[in-house]
Amino acid sequence: MRKSEYFPQKVYVEKNSLDFPLTKRILKNVGPVPSEVIDEPQEVLEDIKASKDAIGEGKKYLLISRQKGKFVKPCPCTPGYLGCNYFILNIDLNCPLDCSYCILQHYLTNPLLTVHVNLDDLWRQLDIFLNKKKHRTIRIGTGELGDSLALDHLTENTADLVSYFRKKRNAIFELKTKTVNIKNILKIEPAPNIVIAWSLNSLKIAQEEEKDAPSVEERIDAARRVSDKGFRIAFHFDPIIRHPDWEQGYKEVIKKLLASVDSARIAWISLGSFRFPPSLKSIIEERFPRTKIIYDELIKGKDGKLRYFKPLRLELYKKIIGFIKEWGDEKIPLYFCMESEDVWREAMGWIPKGEENLEAYLSSPLG
Amino acid sequence: MKKQNLSLKEIFLEDERFRISYYFSLEKQILSIKKVGLLNPPLVALRDKQFILVSGWKRVLACIKLSLFSIPVFVLEEEDDLKSFLVAFYENLATREFSLLEKAEILRRLKKFGEDEKSIVKGYLPLLDIPPTVSNLESFLAFSGLEPEVKKIIHQKSIPFSSVRMLVGFTTQERKLLLPLLFPAGQNKFKGILEDLKEISKRNDISPKKILSSKEIQDIMGSEKLSPLQKSDSVRLILRKKRYPALSLRKESFDSLLKKLRLPKTVEVKPSPFFEEENFSVNFSFGNSEELQANLLKLQELSSRKEFSAIFKFK
Ligand code: SF4
Repeated sequence: MRKSEYFPQKVYVEKNSLDFPLTKRILKNVGPVPSEVIDEPQEVLEDIKASKDAIGEGKKYLLISRQKGKFVKPCPCTPGYLGCNYFILNIDLNCPLDCSYCILQHYLTNPLLTVHVNLDDLWRQLDIFLNKKKHRTIRIGTGELGDSLALDHLTENTADLVSYFRKKRNAIFELKTKTVNIKNILKIEPAPNIVIAWSLNSLKIAQEEEKDAPSVEERIDAARRVSDKGFRIAFHFDPIIRHPDWEQGYKEVIKKLLASVDSARIAWISLGSFRFPPSLKSIIEERFPRTKIIYDELIKGKDGKLRYFKPLRLELYKKIIGFIKEWGDEKIPLYFCMESEDVWREAMGWIPKGEENLEAYLSSPLG
Repeated sequence: MKKQNLSLKEIFLEDERFRISYYFSLEKQILSIKKVGLLNPPLVALRDKQFILVSGWKRVLACIKLSLFSIPVFVLEEEDDLKSFLVAFYENLATREFSLLEKAEILRRLKKFGEDEKSIVKGYLPLLDIPPTVSNLESFLAFSGLEPEVKKIIHQKSIPFSSVRMLVGFTTQERKLLLPLLFPAGQNKFKGILEDLKEISKRNDISPKKILSSKEIQDIMGSEKLSPLQKSDSVRLILRKKRYPALSLRKESFDSLLKKLRLPKTVEVKPSPFFEEENFSVNFSFGNSEELQANLLKLQELSSRKEFSAIFKFK
């Protein structure tokens, strides 16, 4: 596992991204790592794509680029299942960690780790977006197309993001990570609408399927430190994966988690069982030939993604919810990521009526 | 390159170093030569004082079948194998589509004649409409190394690359056990058998050979009552059940409930795909209003029966 911070083997800077303050900051923070200015990344990409493991190879290099499209997008919730009305912020693309199940392997066409540096455009776009949504509370985060903190020692973006969002009271801003890269977070003043979240899994899954990620214990410890600093924290058991002794595996982690952090500081815990588009399967098979997780009873769901046969999903959810209720506060808000109404009803005992109902539920601890 | 007439006996066909096409039918080629003659002379090259064929196997074999004595050929003066092969490659590339097997043979030749891996991936895979990745190259190379009888089935059944890729992951012995199952199967079943077998094997840490050699499967394969297609279907069913035990069990109990309900033959009650949704569907056909009414009455009667409510346990 990668205990230390990530440093690329080389940084590529697109010529038109050279003069941004964030570019200068990253180049300073990478220290002696070589860098090269390029007109456009096509040639580098072609070289990487011709290597045996293009996805793994791409993670070794950092591309500094400009976001030419939109920084803010709705989270691509899946048709046929209840979404959680989340918005994603695309500043960093891709992730230096290497989880076998990572959806980005299928989703991203550019295998390079990419940081978008035109932050002035980001703030402008965010102002417009939040103004449009000013009559409701929205949840927004950076951890969908990458890990929110994995590059923070290079970009130091969290400080800017938190200081922007602390003033935006109609937004709950979430940083989602599997790392313990919290040095910068611990220097920032907390705010009630800022949530730092960790993705957790059973020890076995974390060890076998989350390559280069810190151990679950280290993540929980980082969460505790951030919570002690005054931040609200959240957890994502996603993807929940069946494996021999899964019940014991998840029980152990939940027990450990809820004994380490104060339930009252937990903004939410989300649950999502393992699911993926069928085309990811061959990528996982090729990159992680020893994994068995893709050979369980996965069926094609209403959205075309592979997911566990429903009775198996229900069994997972009911057990895990039971563990959370047993060791944590009954009031910790729980929600499913991409599940159907009947699963909500059967496992949670209620169904959110529309997106706003779920939003109100998840933002209720804000008061 | 010069054109000359060459006696067919002078072409040393045992040297197949440039050959990429196998398992073709000569009928149409023979007809064409009979009707209009050999308009497009094959390409040969001189190696160790012998003429060997660079391209035009189908044409030459058809001429032999027609017992022609000599034919016009182009003689390549190039001594380098790679350069000679590329002449034939580009000539063919411009005029026809390559089959999967031909693509595999082309890639094998390129490698054998000294083209480096990176150039093949970047330069040739896109020309052959193959996504340019090393793993695709590796799979095609492995395909070209398969046993001739396996290659023949793949070629004849136009098996897609995704299935070929799975097949190369099995051992020679396993492929031998698989052949009688795959031969009668269509493309989808072919893929299903391979996929289920591979995945059960990986999930349960049992070799495919051990699964295929189980008594249950061997009994089917040895049965004298079953046709090859029935054997293939029965084994596929066993593999399905092993691969998806909970789903298969649910399907079986749903089907046995339906059996107990004794639905009319024209009425079909179905769960949603993989029991994922809470709804069921009813299909029935009718040819006149009496039949429609009879079906509706039967359904109404059925829905009021206590046993029928058991169906909702399958939600
Ligand atoms: S931490 Fe998240 S983004 Fe990074 S590799 Fe793992 S799943 Fe993908």
